Amino acid sequence: MNPQDLIGPFSPLGNPAPFWFITFFKVFGFILHMIPMNIWYAGMLLVAIFATFGRNHSLELAHRLSRSMPIIVAMGVNLGIVPLLFTQVGYYQFYYPAGILMAYAWFSVIVILIFAYYGVYVYSLSVKNNKHTKLALASAWISSIAFIFIGFLFANNFSLMANINDWIHIYNKTNVAGAALGTGLNTADPTLIPRWLMMFGLAITTTAVYIAFDAAFFKKRDTSPLTGSSTSDYKTWAGKFAFAFYTLGMVLFAVMGSWYIFGALEKSTFDQLSQNSFMYIIFGLTAVSPGLVWIAMLLQRKGVKRKVTIFAAILQFVVVTLNAVSRQWVQNLEIFRFKNISELPVNIQWSPMILFLLLFVIGLAVVGWMIAKIVAVEKSVA
Amino acid sequence: MHYPWWYVPSLTSPMLIAMIATIHVFVSLYAVGGGIVLAGEVSYAYKVNNKSLLDYLRSHTLFFILLTVVFGAITGVGIWWTISLSSPLATEALIHIFVFGWAMEYVFFVLEIVAAFIFHYYWGRLDPKVHKTIGWIYAVSAYISLVLITAITAFQLDIGNWTPDKGMWVAFFNPQTFPQIIARSGASLLLASLYIYLHAAFKLKDNAQLRALVENRTSKWAMAGAALVTVGGAWWYVNLPESAKAALAGASALNILTLLIFTASAVVFFMLYFGPYRNPGWLNPGFAILYFVIGIAATGTGEFIREGVRKPYIVYNYVTGNNVLISEIPKLQATGYLNGGTWTKAFMKAHYPQVFGTDGNIDGNKLLQLPASDQIKVGEVLFQYHCNDCHSTRGFSGVAELTRGWSKGMIHTVVTHLDKAHFFMPPWCGTEAEATVLTEYLQSRSEPVPEGMKFSNINSRENTLAEKVGRGEAEK
Repeated sequence: MNPQDLIGPFSPLGNPAPFWFITFFKVFGFILHMIPMNIWYAGMLLVAIFATFGRNHSLELAHRLSRSMPIIVAMGVNLGIVPLLFTQVGYYQFYYPAGILMAYAWFSVIVILIFAYYGVYVYSLSVKNNKHTKLALASAWISSIAFIFIGFLFANNFSLMANINDWIHIYNKTNVAGAALGTGLNTADPTLIPRWLMMFGLAITTTAVYIAFDAAFFKKRDTSPLTGSSTSDYKTWAGKFAFAFYTLGMVLFAVMGSWYIFGALEKSTFDQLSQNSFMYIIFGLTAVSPGLVWIAMLLQRKGVKRKVTIFAAILQFVVVTLNAVSRQWVQNLEIFRFKNISELPVNIQWSPMILFLLLFVIGLAVVGWMIAKIVAVEKSVA
Repeated sequence: MHYPWWYVPSLTSPMLIAMIATIHVFVSLYAVGGGIVLAGEVSYAYKVNNKSLLDYLRSHTLFFILLTVVFGAITGVGIWWTISLSSPLATEALIHIFVFGWAMEYVFFVLEIVAAFIFHYYWGRLDPKVHKTIGWIYAVSAYISLVLITAITAFQLDIGNWTPDKGMWVAFFNPQTFPQIIARSGASLLLASLYIYLHAAFKLKDNAQLRALVENRTSKWAMAGAALVTVGGAWWYVNLPESAKAALAGASALNILTLLIFTASAVVFFMLYFGPYRNPGWLNPGFAILYFVIGIAATGTGEFIREGVRKPYIVYNYVTGNNVLISEIPKLQATGYLNGGTWTKAFMKAHYPQVFGTDGNIDGNKLLQLPASDQIKVGEVLFQYHCNDCHSTRGFSGVAELTRGWSKGMIHTVVTHLDKAHFFMPPWCGTEAEATVLTEYLQSRSEPVPEGMKFSNINSRENTLAEKVGRGEAEK
């Protein structure tokens, strides 16, 4: 079987927007999704660990994280719609077959996510109502494990999308009279594990920055009912912990990233990457950018500082952005080898596109207005 | 047919869409209607300064968020998941037509989420005017998302004047859009009211006065919803394409369900009028549960009918129920279904290279020269890709049962005249040779006439006659 034979034809409808526009919104949407997703991905595990073994400040951190987690998950799930939408517009010939080959696992994401999300609520409400039951603790653990497993399934589908050679092996092993049984997984792909854990490393770093940000901006001036200690004690502890946690994430990111680039990536892709100087710079920046945030976190190891935290958050946004851009670049290299999907004729839908962009801006303004109102409430309380 | 087909034994994979979509609709309609009712009632409670009503609405908002933001949102994403797995070609088409419609919907989703959380978590902390405004931001955003998604599902039922060279707006303003928007707006208000009754019946069990107030005020929303459902439903029926009207008239299951939905709607309407509207105070948990179950049954039935009458299309006159573009059918009938499918052709190349001719396509004569057992296997491939969208082998709409007692000739006749035998089935999209191997497969799975039936002799005679007819058709 020839992998080229498994790639379907272009849509006769043409692309509703130029390919660059589709890719831009796919990447932009992914960046916006990644920030909250990173926080629940690593953050929920932290909640479970500290809720079980934590004392004083670490337990307080678990409670603080869990209280904001329902909102973070809601935002992340919704922000995930955009990259998924534009993936289906531009990359359908690869996204659909990959999903179908591992259909049961992919379908299970929805079921697992429902349980994970309700688990978040169970723990969060137990903290809010000060009822620390075993069920709540179990829910936190179930949610955290479920999120990490969902990450594994996502890594599977999105790596399989570009791993067309392995479609054949999976299809041959799991078809019933030519129809996919949907029981495959991309586990034979050497990039799978480093991709999955690289994202987990990145998630730890984003969560660490969030912890510092939360302590710097959202921690009210009061005495903690849990620890009996003051706000400044918590802020000092949070700065120290966030720095350590960031270091852990950065190391994991560096190790898995190195494994991915130097040990798992196909040689031809690696060669293409190293031959293009612009890509070389982007990948170099992707690799070193967490180091800059690490320095900003280092400066806060004796206590979070608002200005430095803002700086760290902006830098972390750049880290996430570079990561998304690099991932897209690799994906395009891997896919374009089989089919240049940017060649599909464009049939631009101007007025819907303009209306969408207009609504996007208006939507941001309305969200900004609502946030301004709650910030005013918070300020008046402080 | 440009994608691998996902085989789900016994059930068929599109049934997963139906399951997820129906469950989702129960909650998503509440997400829209509930948002409107909450915004309206909170505005009223502030206006009359009724603190106990505000407290109740606050508790209902948490229930609302737990159900809609979690279950509703994720099952909504779940529909995307399943349609991409079970109907990839139709999804590909819809995404390319409506990408910016969906993108707009995403903007309103984000507004909904932000507004819903602020509305709940800052209850009592925001200025009442700001609080009400945020409630209405949620309600308007949720309603616009209903309008956007309804236009897309309406387009599936009737594409109107849309052709592939026309843009999204022509597709958006199809003949079904406004009737369905009105019907769904009504359903959302009606269902939201039933959710409120359910919640209030338990939450306000010991507060008869407040419960009566909630009951009475909510019944007005519910009555308005019932009126909209009636108007939208009637307009929906009038605007249905002829094929859908014929499906509604011809399919006994749809007849029964239509009767069921009218009965359930009428029962809910009378219960509303004589219960909460005329006699507030009747509401108790049992009554509320009964209400809710009937409402859910009516909504689910309505959705089933809406989906059922669309057959044989996923997108009317554009994509058939078995994921074939209408424009590709003539070519498939001339050169073969297995040749036309990306994965079927690759599969055949790998497993039966001997059936390919010098032009790189499958040769019908060579296909028929395969040993009988291999013909059955190739027939099964055809079954998976041509039939399994709607039929399992044994299970949901199982062909083993549907062809019980049929002769080979009968099966062959039906296969080659699918759309004539049943107008709600797509036409046969393959060659004569492919029809023959599919017939071999179906014959191998077909169940015999049940033993012990008194008129089994008559059956035998009918089979003989039918076989002759079938053979005659095949010879033609």
